[in-house]
Amino acid sequence: MTMYCGRWYERDERFIAAHHQPALLLDLLLARDISSHKILRGSGLFYEDILTGSHYLSPAQLQQLITNGRKLLPQEDLSFRWGDSLWPGHYGVFSQLLANAPDLERALQALVDYRRFLSPLLVPRIYQDERYCYVQWLDACGLQDERRFMVETAMTGLTAMSRWLAQETLPWRYGFSYAQPEQDEQYQVYLGPDLHFSVGVDVMMIEKHWLQKAWPRGSATAYQVALREAQLLIGEDVAMNGFNEAVYHYLTQQLRAPQSLPEVAQAFAMSPATFKRKLHKHHCHFQQLQDQARLHVCLYLFHINGWTNEQVAHYLNFNDTTNFRRAFKRWSGLTPRDSKQRFLFAAG
Amino acid sequence: MFSTLFLHRRKLLLVFGLALASVIASVMVGDAKHWREIDWLDVLGEGGSAVAVAIWMLLILGSRPAGRVTDLLTLGLGFIFLAMWQDNLDEFIRIPAEQWWDAWLESVAMPVGIALLTYGLFHWHSEQLSINRQLAKRERLFREHRFIDGLTQLGRADYLKEQLQLHLNSTRPMTLMMVDINDFSSVNRRFGHREGDRLVREIAELLLLNLRQSDLICRYAGDRFALLLPGTEGEAALQLAQELELAVQHFAFKHSHTGETLYQRISIGLTECRPGDLPARSIERVNQALLTAQRQHGCFLAA
Repeated sequence: MTMYCGRWYERDERFIAAHHQPALLLDLLLARDISSHKILRGSGLFYEDILTGSHYLSPAQLQQLITNGRKLLPQEDLSFRWGDSLWPGHYGVFSQLLANAPDLERALQALVDYRRFLSPLLVPRIYQDERYCYVQWLDACGLQDERRFMVETAMTGLTAMSRWLAQETLPWRYGFSYAQPEQDEQYQVYLGPDLHFSVGVDVMMIEKHWLQKAWPRGSATAYQVALREAQLLIGEDVAMNGFNEAVYHYLTQQLRAPQSLPEVAQAFAMSPATFKRKLHKHHCHFQQLQDQARLHVCLYLFHINGWTNEQVAHYLNFNDTTNFRRAFKRWSGLTPRDSKQRFLFAAG
Repeated sequence: MFSTLFLHRRKLLLVFGLALASVIASVMVGDAKHWREIDWLDVLGEGGSAVAVAIWMLLILGSRPAGRVTDLLTLGLGFIFLAMWQDNLDEFIRIPAEQWWDAWLESVAMPVGIALLTYGLFHWHSEQLSINRQLAKRERLFREHRFIDGLTQLGRADYLKEQLQLHLNSTRPMTLMMVDINDFSSVNRRFGHREGDRLVREIAELLLLNLRQSDLICRYAGDRFALLLPGTEGEAALQLAQELELAVQHFAFKHSHTGETLYQRISIGLTECRPGDLPARSIERVNQALLTAQRQHGCFLAA
């Protein structure tokens, strides 16, 4: 038994500065002549709270704003427009970090290290193989129906920020866990032509040589200063993972010996009942997280390590590859071979 | 009405020519009845009907374009008119029984005319149904708010796809154009999205002013507009694209607070659409052409 040693934040913790990302979303809606009380309905917030500049929202409250916005402007490109000016943004020292990043690598590093402040609902994770850098987007604390909205926002955000700071359009490729939406015009315009749906994971990829290419707006000195300031500001014991993210992360590390719910509960130092209650609060099931962790590890081993079905089946302690193929199909809806082909296509 | 009637002059010549010929033939072979032998009630009934049918025929011809349905309706009414006309002539002229054509005109022309008219009406019905469908789709532009973009009041991408499908079913060649504002994202960043919104709205107006009556402009998404140019190909389409480019280049958009002028450039991708193309394929092609245009900073016509 390994104890989970990280800290996590939960859906109802108020730590998102209302005058940061939420204010930007609010303003996009207000610009379309929608009254503020309609936008804030059900969130327990008042417009005056946001204007004070010292009010904080929980992830659940921000999510309620997104739900309202989506309902009020059903045909609009709200998620993409929010993403388009989301980063670097005006979020104090964290925005300074992004704005002064000397290259893509350090901008991504800042985005990952300070995800709690820059992207609290959908968090980035970075992987690399010989050729590509992958940015995977993970649900931090139970987005449910707003997941697609946040994926659109975050991917547009990174695309637009990198274009703004690099002063050129970077050749990102996009993979989505969900099927191609009927209307994909916004994807074409805000992201680009390289879109691949139903690949099992929400991921952006780019060839690695773009990571170190110097950005004209960047400043290594200002970045270092901002980095030190950010470290001092948040201290050591601030939770950087959302609850779902933390459980997911723990499960990916224990995959060779899959654990039961009571065992994982113990690793998180709570009773099975409390653990279940927390999962329920974060809109997820244990099995669902476990399957997702397995699927993502499989995709990682296939595409980044280049392993065969046999190797992955063996690694995950399946008795034979037939069983493994069946299980993979259940997690992803695709056979390993189809999944590999889709990814190969996406990776060009 | 008279210019439309001119389209049908041959059919009119045929019907009225036959009517005149039958008068001449009747006068030549028959002998006139005595004034008191004429049944004036019959003349009024039969003759009046014949004149009414002739008027219907003229009304139909005057209000319809040429085509199969028009031909059938005219011929049907024409035969009925001839039969009634001949019937009416009998009231004035006694024609010998051995003149077979007289009986033939009276008894055969009528059923043939009625058959043609019935057949014609059936086709007119189907034609009307398909016109209704077409009209319904046009009406959606005004009534169906789902298809209208709230910011620019132009049709959305759905409307574009529908119109594209309609045009691809016709036989005329046309060009599809994608127009994108260069570096629009930085306008939003530097001046805020309210200025960005206003810029999109004003560029939409500007493009609209520079188009012909037959062209269609839709907001595809974000700062991208799709233009449908029916009956336009190659050089003519490129010419139009260059005109749009120049118009935007000279458009002095003013910042709403500072009054600063923000000049904009656009990139345009073009593709020719042939009847039978799939709308999705055409849109994919034109988006590709736009990417090339953006790299080359100008217009690009995809093969």
